[in-house]
Amino acid sequence: MFFVLIQSQIGIGLFSLPNVVQEPAKGDGWISIILAGVGIQFLLIIYWFLLKRFPDDEFAQVIQKILGRTLGKILNILIYFHFIITGSLSTILMVKLLNLQLLPITPSWMISFLIISASIYLTISNLKIIAKFFVLAFTLIILLLFLTLFTFSLPQEIQFILPVGHSGIKNILIGSNNALFSMVGFEAILFLFPFIIQKNKGVLKTISLANIFVTGFYTFLVFICLISFSPDQLNQIREPVTYLFRGLSFKTFARVDLIFLSLWVVPMTTTIIAYLFLASKSISNEERSYKKNVVINGIFIFLISLIPHTDEITTQFTKYVTYLSYAVIYVIPVLLLLVSIIYKKHETGETT
Amino acid sequence: MNIFLAGCWDQHQLVDKNIVNGISFDLTDEGGILLKARNINIKSKGGGQFEVEDELVSAERPTLVGLSMDIDSKSSGRVDYSQAHLLLISDEMAKQGILQTLDSFYRGKDSNTGAKIAITKGKAHDILSTEKDKSPIAFFILKMIEGAEETTLLPEETIFKVWTKILTPGKDFFLPYLEKTESDKIAIAGVALLNGDKFSGLSLTKEQSTLLLLLLDRFKKTNFMSLILNRTSENRSIAFSTRKIQREMKITVDKTSGDITCNIDISIQIEVNSYPQNFKEDLNTKKMNKEISAELTKQAKEIIAILLKANSDVFGIEMQLAKRHPDAWSKMNWDEDYKNVRIEPKIDVKIIKTGNVF
Repeated sequence: MFFVLIQSQIGIGLFSLPNVVQEPAKGDGWISIILAGVGIQFLLIIYWFLLKRFPDDEFAQVIQKILGRTLGKILNILIYFHFIITGSLSTILMVKLLNLQLLPITPSWMISFLIISASIYLTISNLKIIAKFFVLAFTLIILLLFLTLFTFSLPQEIQFILPVGHSGIKNILIGSNNALFSMVGFEAILFLFPFIIQKNKGVLKTISLANIFVTGFYTFLVFICLISFSPDQLNQIREPVTYLFRGLSFKTFARVDLIFLSLWVVPMTTTIIAYLFLASKSISNEERSYKKNVVINGIFIFLISLIPHTDEITTQFTKYVTYLSYAVIYVIPVLLLLVSIIYKKHETGETT
Repeated sequence: MNIFLAGCWDQHQLVDKNIVNGISFDLTDEGGILLKARNINIKSKGGGQFEVEDELVSAERPTLVGLSMDIDSKSSGRVDYSQAHLLLISDEMAKQGILQTLDSFYRGKDSNTGAKIAITKGKAHDILSTEKDKSPIAFFILKMIEGAEETTLLPEETIFKVWTKILTPGKDFFLPYLEKTESDKIAIAGVALLNGDKFSGLSLTKEQSTLLLLLLDRFKKTNFMSLILNRTSENRSIAFSTRKIQREMKITVDKTSGDITCNIDISIQIEVNSYPQNFKEDLNTKKMNKEISAELTKQAKEIIAILLKANSDVFGIEMQLAKRHPDAWSKMNWDEDYKNVRIEPKIDVKIIKTGNVF
């Protein structure tokens, strides 16, 4: 049953952000995403090595075991901070999107309140239940993928992409950098590892598969946006994926983009649920305080999301969150792995 | 209580609304903008019955902004543009560029980006003010355009597609061209050719429009064309439908002179719908193939001459040049050099069906 837990990795990584498609690499943005996926794959391998050495410990304990109590505690708090802030950013962006497109007059705090209370409600329960819900949400992604197939009936110009590679390696790499932020969420595996039963059976395979799926999905979406809109247009449109659906209309579904957005609320919420879960887990190890933590963290996120957010503030905020996430996702695990190899710290897990 | 029911903030009652069906844009004599909108007023007669009334509202302003506010102030209820499915722009105004009129449509979150655009010969509000019993006129025009799209008479264009095309450098498009005949009849006059987002002033007739769509490989299963063959000696006529097209477009740049030639080779398979000349004999398909090919090629050349004059690059030659022959392209000033491009069409016709009789 805990295999389902692996599915949640897809839930998190995929829905980190609603806006995927702003790339400085222009026509080669899709290559950027593939490269980003490859980069993430490397990281996943590093994670796996690290986690294999401490099969049964929660990540918070892992850090403390490797680096000692004080340094470990500091890092733990940093990670906790990262989860809360990323969760808040996700909430803020989601509320903004809903406010802009679907519910302009409804006050933001109301939307935020509804999303967060729903998230708290689900996160409080068992991990198994969360994972099952994520699997359900996955079917929505498949549905949305199906919808995107219809966009092939809109005018498209392959010319926008050709010639391949015309933006130059440097721009493509910058694009990968930006794309990475949309693809974070895979660090959840750090915390989920101890819950997986049957660790030896292809954990790496499953998480790699999840990574490939996410990368492929994003690449596909970016690709469609790139061939449907000219470069000038892409610069102007805020959310190309949503706008893409505006061109579609069927006899019974006039505004496909609104339907898409309404459905997309679920995947976006699963991201918030995931970060709420991670934040609560990273702070405490016992079962008893977990539920309390969830509620408190939820309130934290809610309060942060109440701060008024103009476009400028949001961009700044996003930048800070990105920097912090770099530290947490890249630096810390690599550091930990190196230290643990050098000092030969590891524990063999019980055979199950 | 309101606080606890999400969505209560944003609800819109249908009976409070005034739904705009069609919008027309004209230039006024003083250089301002005149906008007329067809509003559908839904009145509740009680018991779930509704009465739909169609009225014409107009607003005039020096520039585009603020027109919707004027319309709102002259209409009962709140005006809702999300159902506006027809946009008419007068030819004068279109000559100044249509991108500005489209801005509020693709910026707003409520507008119908699947709306159809048409350029009108003469004043757009003339066409919109045509009265028709029982059926709202905007809806009538919409159905007319949709029907024509289905039979390959008009290109399929909506605001969404048009916006992409305007911002696509190197390719131009064309829009339906409507006119008013007699005092209350609206007809499709052909297609209007655009250069960038500006109306060139030149248009193609209905027959030429279908042929152009054929040349662009944008034809639909249903299409009708009629030709008069051999005008000088016999004056025979034929009507046919195209069943299959194979198209090849090749652009070559002469290294020395820098001349650009675009060869378009098309072979089509047709089905004869009407050939009211041979009553006793079978159709001589070989001979007919040759004649129709010659006539179609001749007409294609005429169309291309008009396209070049209008500076309308519907084949996307500039785009192909920029990608495949970037050196030659960078030396050119496309606006002026487009006229010198030689486009050679060659149409090869093969009759595969002749209907129920031979």
